[in-house]
Amino acid sequence: MNKRILEMIGGRLAVAILSLFLVSLAVFFITELLPGDTAQELLGQAVTTEAAAQLRETLGLDRPAILRYFEWVFGLLTGDLGYSHVSDRPVASLVAERLPNSLTLAAITMAITIPLALGLGIFAAIWKGSIFDRAISSVAIMLVSFPEFMIATLLVMWLSVYLQWLPALSFIPATADFRTIVLAFIMPVSVLVFGSCSQMIRLSRAAIADAMATPYVEMAMLKGASRSRMVLRHALPNSVAPIVNSVALSMSGLLGGVIIVETVFNYPGLAKLMVDGVTTRDMPLIQTCSMIFCGFYLVLITAADIIAILSNPRLR
Amino acid sequence: MTHQFDKSRFSRNDDSAVENAIRRGATRRDLLRMLAAGGVVAATAGTFIGSAQNAVAQTPKRGGALRVALNSTSTADTLDPVRASAQGDYMRMSTFYNKLTVLDNSFTPQMELAESFDTKDAKVWTIKLKTGVTFHNGKTMDSADVVYSLSRHVDPKLTSRANALAKAMIKIEAVDKNTVRIELDQPNADLPAILGTYHFVIIPDGTTEFTKAVGTGPYMTEVFEPGIRTVGKRNPNYFKSDAAFVDSIEMFGIPDENARVNALLSGDIHIGASMDARSAPLVKANPNLRLMVAPGGSYTNLNIRMDMEPGSKKDFIDGVRSLINRDAINRAVLRGFGEPHNDQPIQRASRYFNAEVVPPSFDPERAKHHFEKAGLIGVGIPLICSEAAKASPDMAMVLQQDAAKIGVKIDVQRMPADGYWSNQWIKAPFHFGNINARPTADILFSLLYKSDAAWNESRFVNPKFDQMLLEARGSLDEAQRKQIYGEMQAMVARDAATIIPAYIASADAMSTKVGGLNPHPLGMLQGYNIADTVWLDA
Amino acid sequence: MTVSAAPRRKLRFQIRPIAAICLAVVLFWAAVALFAPLLVHYPVGDMVSYDYFGPMSKEYWLGTDYLGRDIYSRLIVGARYTIGIAFVGLILAALIGVTLGLLAAAFGGVFDTILSRAIDTFVGIPNLLLALVIVAGGGSSIPILIGAITIIFFPGCYRFTRSMAVNVNALDFISVARARGEGNFYVMIHEILPNIVGPIMADLGLRFVHIILLLSGLSFLGLGVQPPNADWGAMVRENMIGISYGSPAVVVPSLALASLALAINLLIDNLPQRIRDQLE
Repeated sequence: MNKRILEMIGGRLAVAILSLFLVSLAVFFITELLPGDTAQELLGQAVTTEAAAQLRETLGLDRPAILRYFEWVFGLLTGDLGYSHVSDRPVASLVAERLPNSLTLAAITMAITIPLALGLGIFAAIWKGSIFDRAISSVAIMLVSFPEFMIATLLVMWLSVYLQWLPALSFIPATADFRTIVLAFIMPVSVLVFGSCSQMIRLSRAAIADAMATPYVEMAMLKGASRSRMVLRHALPNSVAPIVNSVALSMSGLLGGVIIVETVFNYPGLAKLMVDGVTTRDMPLIQTCSMIFCGFYLVLITAADIIAILSNPRLR
Repeated sequence: MTHQFDKSRFSRNDDSAVENAIRRGATRRDLLRMLAAGGVVAATAGTFIGSAQNAVAQTPKRGGALRVALNSTSTADTLDPVRASAQGDYMRMSTFYNKLTVLDNSFTPQMELAESFDTKDAKVWTIKLKTGVTFHNGKTMDSADVVYSLSRHVDPKLTSRANALAKAMIKIEAVDKNTVRIELDQPNADLPAILGTYHFVIIPDGTTEFTKAVGTGPYMTEVFEPGIRTVGKRNPNYFKSDAAFVDSIEMFGIPDENARVNALLSGDIHIGASMDARSAPLVKANPNLRLMVAPGGSYTNLNIRMDMEPGSKKDFIDGVRSLINRDAINRAVLRGFGEPHNDQPIQRASRYFNAEVVPPSFDPERAKHHFEKAGLIGVGIPLICSEAAKASPDMAMVLQQDAAKIGVKIDVQRMPADGYWSNQWIKAPFHFGNINARPTADILFSLLYKSDAAWNESRFVNPKFDQMLLEARGSLDEAQRKQIYGEMQAMVARDAATIIPAYIASADAMSTKVGGLNPHPLGMLQGYNIADTVWLDA
Repeated sequence: MTVSAAPRRKLRFQIRPIAAICLAVVLFWAAVALFAPLLVHYPVGDMVSYDYFGPMSKEYWLGTDYLGRDIYSRLIVGARYTIGIAFVGLILAALIGVTLGLLAAAFGGVFDTILSRAIDTFVGIPNLLLALVIVAGGGSSIPILIGAITIIFFPGCYRFTRSMAVNVNALDFISVARARGEGNFYVMIHEILPNIVGPIMADLGLRFVHIILLLSGLSFLGLGVQPPNADWGAMVRENMIGISYGSPAVVVPSLALASLALAINLLIDNLPQRIRDQLE
């Protein structure tokens, strides 16, 4: 049994690496397809044909695209992420300034969202049709129905401007004490939790409710088993696959998809780095960020698939 | 020498002499006499007195950590003068470095690192440098540093953003340790002003590494993280004694307007740059905040390529000219943060502005007549706009609505800001552009209207205009220049298809604790130059 | 799991009050979208007043926006674009995603692996890049916008459907059906789909909301409803500064968005049993 699982994990890892390679190829060519290149974007309004040609030569962009791509890939294999054309610094140093911030934000958000959302979803399913269930479902939808930038702005207006409890910006100086750090994280984390919670609450509730509707469970209920017991003992184990999948999908956006939170709270993370890269067609930067986001996604969904398989005796 | 250059002789020392005189209780007439004795004409003297009085109103205090939020930041942020292109870059330039001259509120160059500029023919210039100025690394500034700094902008390999201006300097050489001689390809009386623009800062000879800025400026780099923040701490050896008041300046970008206003309201930052007119009431309503509005700054213009359909039809251009509702644009779009303009690029603050050039009035009937003649009634006409060109989608809306009322169909296409300057601007037949304020008439006309200019937005071709441009450039006679530039403004307004409905004011919001700042026609934050004068009342 | 199960319950006639209210809200917005041109007071792009962020009044029922345009008229026309585009985009994404998900689960094996990895690769391409390259290649029109939404949203539908379907595929009755000699397509449509339709609907309800919110983001990339029209998300966004003044220009479109989102999702929550019974 264990051997099969190990084999499967190994297989998935191999495929994940292949996926990463394919993504890097796709991202590279899509970026090539975009009108304008680094030279033009950097020169902006100052662009002339000669200046752009000169800058291209200086940056080495005049060489064939495919050559530059493979240089980047070989660099990556040797642990060299390349040089950002735009900021004239190693991509590694740009990423190093921001990756810890992004990971911290994602980790805190996940640590709060997953237990909270699953807990609420499970209780909503146990007490299906109750006031609690209705309230949770409605609040979950309400939270996701207002644009993220609006929720973030309202929070800042209330907690920072009106009450003056929290800082409006979440940039954390290196010398900050624990309290400062906690205060700075409250709002960005809340916005992200609101955004990702609802999907998980609803899906865990729906999946469990669905499992509860199977003839087997209905029969057991008729025989007098309690509803909460049936949910925890039978429905929940049978719903693990869709639930972990939904968790993985909701969480996968926490690195690259948090541009609004990064912008509103002035939090230096990877999402903004990626947008900058795209805006200036800074290939090594775009590639590195895409690889990080995609890697994060692959890790999450692979974990979800493995958990799903382990949880379902029939699939093992 | 004409009085043009006497004015440029008016250095910062004189400025502080005026301030001292005001402190002693001199009357306005005394001051004018004093300035006249120094050779400054009365018209410009007025502006000096104005700014000096402002500065004395409150005495600068020293100390404090200033936090400034700009409206943009990205990984392209740089400390390298040849790469500087964003507003944040210009701020960094003036914080960490100095230039030979600095442009005052009327675009007149004042001496900074230079002691004097001298020329006989406006072609060969001799620049004397101040002595005893040191870089942050302790090295003394001399002519070799100036030659190196300026030459970098000329070198095509370095693709300086200021190359278009710099390449006129065909020879830059050190005469002695404190003297530099510059030879231009053609006479240009504006050289002192050009060298006062953002890019021409002085760095130590041989500098190639720009992870930290080594300059002579009021602040030294403490932190520089592109796309995140820049922190400067006060330069204890700064060569100006009455400047650089705060202990440290931290700059970062908050692109979201609401977030910028809220950070200011909550006290997280002291200065929020570039505010929309619609946030202004919030700032005004708060007793701890004030707004600084600078009338000039930039303009957003409607360009019609005259060499492409439908701009090749004169009637189309005339129709659009009569259909653009300048009043509505100023009232509804800019909300008073702008001033109506007359289809030519020289701003009102300039001494060369020709007030006699009057734009056509809003006249839908006449516009309809022109569109009918051009056969463009009911035909969809694409109009390209983008957030990249400030307020252009809103201006496009105004035009679209007015056009619809006379049966002209304008298809507004809002394009991504991403790639707008390289893909849409100038290339589309009917589009919006955005031009930042430039300090001299010559720069504006050479960059934007000369027949072979790369940025000739409407493809305006006129050999006589090019001729006049050269004539004015080389002239040291102020009256003659004013007359030529006045005529050129009329030509552009009449014959080029670049409609400039308004100059857009820039407004910065700040805590009332911030002092030492005055509006500047170059744009936001005192023309991207606050480090010398700003102070905090802690 | 026999075909004769349905008539036993009278669920078809038991519509809960909450579902009725939600249905009414959805139908209301659908009617608004349908009859928009008859309902507007002013042309949608017309600057009717120099008073920006004006309050609600007799002339301008819901106040004016940042340019002094009538919010009521913009909201009505916005309903058309918002609901229309999101709805078509969702249907397309769901059709593609659910079909592929079912195929992957029913056929399994190498087919499943290749399809899943291919779609993972697709998801790995950042949305921002995709959206920009779509604008660059195809310009900005409504069909292209819908296409972009489909491309961005179908992988999520696929993964969710597949994970549910794989689970069901391993149940005994599927083996029974296969033992009966039913083909993959039969199993897919008649055995797997009815058992997962509830969660899929719940998932789609939320995706609908996400699509509407994405629209506002895309319009700022230049891929969206073009001026003078705007979808609700873009209306919220372009008037955001008004939030500090409590302007109806921000509040109204947000409430419209929230009412529609809530109604659709609660409606779905209160439907699955009936749908399941009908499908069986």
